[in-house]
Amino acid sequence: MTINNENKNNGETASSAESSINLEASRRNFIFGSVAAAGLTVAPGMMLYQTANARSLSDFSLKDGASSKVRWGMLVNTTKEVDWNKCVEACNKEHGLGNEKDSRDDQKTQYIRVVDVKNKGTGYSMSLPVMCQHCENAPCVDVCPTGASMKRADGIVLVDRHRCIGCRYCMMACPYKARSFVHEVLTDQTENTPRGKGCVESCNMCVSRIDNGQEPACVEASEGAIIFGDLNDPETPIAKILAKHGGKQIRADLKLNPGVHYQGI
Amino acid sequence: MGLALIAGFSTANANQDGLGPKITLPENSEGKSCLFPSEQMRREHPDMLKHDRIQTLREGVRAQADGKVLDGSLKQCVNCHAIKDASNKFVRIDNEQHFCASCHKYAAVSIDCFQCHRDIPEGSGDFHALTNHKDVNYSNVAPGTYSLTTEDMANIAPEVISDDN
Ligand code: SF4
Ligand code: SF4
Repeated sequence: MTINNENKNNGETASSAESSINLEASRRNFIFGSVAAAGLTVAPGMMLYQTANARSLSDFSLKDGASSKVRWGMLVNTTKEVDWNKCVEACNKEHGLGNEKDSRDDQKTQYIRVVDVKNKGTGYSMSLPVMCQHCENAPCVDVCPTGASMKRADGIVLVDRHRCIGCRYCMMACPYKARSFVHEVLTDQTENTPRGKGCVESCNMCVSRIDNGQEPACVEASEGAIIFGDLNDPETPIAKILAKHGGKQIRADLKLNPGVHYQGI
Repeated sequence: MGLALIAGFSTANANQDGLGPKITLPENSEGKSCLFPSEQMRREHPDMLKHDRIQTLREGVRAQADGKVLDGSLKQCVNCHAIKDASNKFVRIDNEQHFCASCHKYAAVSIDCFQCHRDIPEGSGDFHALTNHKDVNYSNVAPGTYSLTTEDMANIAPEVISDDN
C-alpha cells in the first residue's frame, strides 16, 4: 500500500488505465464463461438462467479496479411470471434497508420498487421492477455540486457518501425517482453497504457483489427474469439477447442511455 | 491537530508510563503488527483511509496485490481490530474499549466513520443468508496476518448456480 496525498488521489481512473487488456477480458468472462461453454440458447420468453463461475484470483485481479471497457447492465424480462417483491426483499436484505425507525413509509429508503401500470382503455396491466437505471448520461451526476454522485468507469452510478452533503439536488434531477434520502440516524448497517443520515443513496447495482464476482441480489432472486452482464462484450448472454431480440429503456426519449433494459414493456 | 497529538505519543507502548491513552488491542496481537509498524500506523492511518476510500469506492480497486489479498475498505480494519468485552461481545464505538475509541476519545478527535460504517464485524462472524461468506475462516484474520488466503477467497466466490431448469 502506498500513501498518496490528496492531490495524487485526484486521478480517479489512474489505476484502471494501467490495467492490462488480458485481465479485462478475463474479468468480463469470469461470470459468463460457463454459460458460453454450455451453449445456452435463448428465445423470447424463455428462461434465461446463467451461471456464475467460481472465481480464482489468477484470472481476476481485484487490484485493477473498474474498467471503462466494461459496461455493466441488466435486462428485465417483464413477461415472466415472477413475484418482483422477491427482488425487493433480496435488495433490502443485501443492503440492510428498512432499518429506519422514525421515518414515514414514503421517506424510507428504496433501491428498487415495483411499479404497476394499467392501460385504462384495454384493461391490460403489468408490473415491472424499477431501480436506478444506471444512465450513461446521468443527470444525477451532472447536477451534483460536490462530485458525490458519480459514475464508475464500468458504468455503475452510485453516491460517494464521503462527499455527499445531502442537498438532494440529484433526487430532483433523476427522472426515474430512483433515489432516497436517509432522514435519521441508522445503526447496524451491513458491512458492504455503509449508509447513514444526511446522505442520498440509490441502487448501486450491488457493486461490492459485482467486484466480488457475484451477481446483484435482485438478479439472483429473480429466478432468471433479470439477467446481468457486460453490455460492451458481444459474447455475453445479455448482449446477445439484446442484439437478437432487442429491449426497451424506460423513457428512452430522454437519451440518457440507461444500462437497465426491459423486455415486454 | 489530532494527528499531531497522536504522533506525540506514538512511541509510547499502550499506557506504559501511565501517560497517554490506554489503547485496547485485540487478543493475540502480541508481537504482530498491522500493515505498517505501529508508529507509522498511528501517524498515517487517516491518510491511508482517505486513500483507500477513494480507491475502493470511486475506482473499484478492491484489493492489493503483493501476494496477499487485502480488502481496502474499512471493514477489514474493523474485522481485525474488533475488541470483545468480558461477556465475549464486541464493543461498540461508544465504548472506550473500542479500538478506535480508545485513542480517539483521549485525543478528543471525533470520527464520523461509524455513522455509516459498521463498528463491529458483521454478524460477529455469521454473515446473513444472502452473502456467501459463511464458509470463510476469519479466525486467521488477526493483526499481522491481515490477508485472506486464496482458499478463503475461493470460498467467498459464488456457488455455481445450476442453469438446467
Ligand atoms: S436512474 Fe436516476 S439515479 Fe440512476 S443514474 Fe439515472 S438519473 Fe442517476
Ligand atoms: S444529495 Fe449528495 S449526491 Fe445528491 S446532488 Fe447533493 S451532494 Fe450530490
